Amino acid sequence: MTTTLANPAEKLLFEVSKPGRRCLRLPALDVPKVDVKSALKGAKLRAKPAVLPEVGELDLVRHFKNLAQMNFSVDRNFYPLGSCTMKYNPKINVTLLSLPGFTKAHPHLPEADLQGHIELMCTLESWLSEVSGLPAVTLQPAAGAQGEMTGLMVIKAYFEEKGEGKTRRKVIIPDNAHGTNPATAALAGFETVTLKGKADGSVDLDLLKSLVRPDTAAMMITNPSTLGIIEPRMVEIAKILHDAGAQLYMDGANMNAIQGVVRPGDLGVDVMHFNLHKTYSVPHGSGGPGAGPIAVAKHLEPYLPYPRPMKTEKGYTLANPNPKRTIGKVRSFFGNYGALVMAYIYMSQLGREGVRRNGENATLNANYLRAKLRGVYHIQNDKACAHEVVFTDAFQHKDGGPSALDIAKRMIDYGIHPMTIYFPLPAVTGGHGAMMVEPTETESKETLDYFVEVMKKIAQECKENPDLVKAAPHTTPVSRVDEKKATTNPQLYCAMCIA
Amino acid sequence: MPFIQNTDADRAEMLKAIGVRSIEDLFADVPANLRIRMDDKGKLKLPPGKGELEVTRHIQDLLSRTKNAGDYAYFRGGGIYNHFVSTVVDHIALFDGSFITAYTPYQPECSQGTLTFIYEFQSAICALTGLEVSNASMYDGASALAEAMMMGKHLAEDRFRKEKRNAFVLAGAINPEYAQVVQTYADVAGIKVVRVPNGADGRIDKQALAKALNRKAFAVAVQSPNYLGVIEDVEAVVAAAKEPELIVIQAVGEALSLALLQSPAEAGVDICIGEGQSLGNHQFLGGPAFGFFSAKKDWLRKMPGRIVSETTDKDGKRAFSLALATREQHIRREKATSNICTNQSLCALRALIHLSAWGKEGFVELAEHTVAKTQYAMKALSAVPGVSLVYPGAPVFNEFVIQATPGLEKKLLKKKVVGGLPIDKYGKGRRGQYLVAITEVTTKQEIDRYVEALTEAMKGKPVAV
Repeated sequence: MTTTLANPAEKLLFEVSKPGRRCLRLPALDVPKVDVKSALKGAKLRAKPAVLPEVGELDLVRHFKNLAQMNFSVDRNFYPLGSCTMKYNPKINVTLLSLPGFTKAHPHLPEADLQGHIELMCTLESWLSEVSGLPAVTLQPAAGAQGEMTGLMVIKAYFEEKGEGKTRRKVIIPDNAHGTNPATAALAGFETVTLKGKADGSVDLDLLKSLVRPDTAAMMITNPSTLGIIEPRMVEIAKILHDAGAQLYMDGANMNAIQGVVRPGDLGVDVMHFNLHKTYSVPHGSGGPGAGPIAVAKHLEPYLPYPRPMKTEKGYTLANPNPKRTIGKVRSFFGNYGALVMAYIYMSQLGREGVRRNGENATLNANYLRAKLRGVYHIQNDKACAHEVVFTDAFQHKDGGPSALDIAKRMIDYGIHPMTIYFPLPAVTGGHGAMMVEPTETESKETLDYFVEVMKKIAQECKENPDLVKAAPHTTPVSRVDEKKATTNPQLYCAMCIA
Repeated sequence: MPFIQNTDADRAEMLKAIGVRSIEDLFADVPANLRIRMDDKGKLKLPPGKGELEVTRHIQDLLSRTKNAGDYAYFRGGGIYNHFVSTVVDHIALFDGSFITAYTPYQPECSQGTLTFIYEFQSAICALTGLEVSNASMYDGASALAEAMMMGKHLAEDRFRKEKRNAFVLAGAINPEYAQVVQTYADVAGIKVVRVPNGADGRIDKQALAKALNRKAFAVAVQSPNYLGVIEDVEAVVAAAKEPELIVIQAVGEALSLALLQSPAEAGVDICIGEGQSLGNHQFLGGPAFGFFSAKKDWLRKMPGRIVSETTDKDGKRAFSLALATREQHIRREKATSNICTNQSLCALRALIHLSAWGKEGFVELAEHTVAKTQYAMKALSAVPGVSLVYPGAPVFNEFVIQATPGLEKKLLKKKVVGGLPIDKYGKGRRGQYLVAITEVTTKQEIDRYVEALTEAMKGKPVAV
């Protein structure tokens, strides 16, 4: 599982650049050459050309192939990064996506030429609607965070039309929520109210009741929670909110565990977002692009962003059925269509059985790790978990022993990408450093067993040779990186780029 | 089973290790009456799963009901452009799993590949814009402008604590997609969006601008080249914004224009955002691509998005890592200025490969070819009887507006020409106007075909006013 690592002395493209080198040539100009200055008369031109690298194709390719070797990735490494759902991304996704029918699909093509694309969007919407148990879907949001934003905008528009826009100003968010939830609520113009979760991460119903008031617009809940636990009282939570006239938003970041097992709409959820890059295998791309469609209950449909793909008697069309009520647009054109195509291809392969099977095996794999590492690492809530299990460093990080960070770094030496650490925040993990492990359904039992062996070995190292762990990693092109310095003394570009 | 490697025997063994009888037991927290069972076909109406061969056929079938820019002589842009993408880009970014199947580089020791390319990308954007800070990319040009607006608002709140500045000025012809997204974000943030029209020359109406730029506003945005193709005098906007102390944002719809035009830093803007699709990203009906976002270094602490910095490892060796995370949502939660938590790294990687593959000289040459072809197309199309340029004499880079008559599309399609984009909905008096876009992919032969088809289509048509 260990990787051969590339020469760390690899230079930056800007440093290997040499005047006169280049990769690409243009065809001979087939129209009369023009003098740019006179052709663009009246426009101000730049004084000097931008300092871009000048490299040959071999050096360019080799540069990136060397960088590739300095990266852990799902294709080469077990990558149990909690809350990120780093599952295998089937190769067919990118192969089909690179067909010219997709790569050269311009958004302003005549609608008659987009029929197959709009059909794909309609079908994908119907599938997400099925899985969510909610009747209407928009594919426009470009990411989960933008899905959250869109969802809250829709809720806001709904209350404004009801004449409650001014009074319903607050959004309730559990303290174990991902940071995007409160950030989104604030950007959407709401005040946030923090709901302290119970020790197991579930919602305290009495506390919730005391917080829900006539000024409550919505509650945002992550289910399964960021502690990897399925919220057992979703139906009751929805009732408390609905009785007060408020809405229930579900962050679907952890949908991988419950897809095909239960439909959030059946639990009383009014709005949810999907992270197609988590649940439906759109590759994570070193941080993006992804897609964050939202599904909504019937009463919220009129407020969805436009254009909406629709089937009519004359064929497929992109329409704006509610021009007065829609929130508008959150992204240009139709969202991250290329990402939607990959999710569509993946869901086509899963089908009904596959959706359920993924949920089951994701849950099984996480629980297997929980069972096998019980006693080796502290588990705050040792009960059946969903797609991920949260360990802490309580057993190791005492009397100056290695911390979650050290343990994570040591995993790298065994060819495994570290799990998510220090999230959920220590405030909700008893003050201990969280180590959140999400194996996903695509990993084999053998890989999980290897992981278990590695984690046991590291636990032993923490006792017998703590300095080895604290100095990890030892096998990477760079040793422990000074992240603090990156912030206190930021160097954000090659000096030669700006004269 | 597709993508599942656990065998039935594995599952049995794992359940035993967990100490439960069935997987169903692990879902005890889901109310039993709401749980979907495998035999419960009514609850989840999805089709049965297909194999790779079947899915490939299905996708080909869907695509048989589409046409793409490559099927035509194609003259539409409006924010997304039909550029050539080098095979090198796809080989590295799409088909090599090393970048596409990695995540945000939280653990720098095993993510130096990603961190290095992001640093190089930031450097390339700095080179193009001349501004010192670039983030690791946003969703698209439109939402990047919305984020710039929010950043401008936060900057103004810090700088002018006693002033209630709540207006955001969109000056001149802004891409309607951008304006729509900005409006959506502004609505919930309680920001008033003020539009300044363009004048008869296609550029910002200077008198209207002077009126709109006052101390009620916190920022002004100008797109150049603007939606109608005309290159704006960004420097003049900066000058007009000086006295009322506004943040000036430049939006760039066609990133290739930065190869030739005055750089945003030379013009003196505070923030420059733009659509990055032109830089090595496929069209995909408009996404995914990325928005670039750069600013003067003074504004670093309010920047949205991920930022990578050079640093060192514990042995003093050069290394890269994410930086300044305290700006971001996972630390600041409801006090964050943006909720952005991922970025469009892979699209940024494509841009970096594209810019490096063309290189310093090649990128300029690409822009020069575009200008030459645009000039040729402008002359040829405006020579068609009944057709004229809407902004004759205005400086344009790759797009321009012609006045013809409405409803010409079908006639052009018969000749396999997708002519300029009808912009009658863009404002009053635009009936029969078309926004024509040119790229390096456009050939003289295609332009001539457009001219021929347009000539025929215009025969016998009264000239529209």
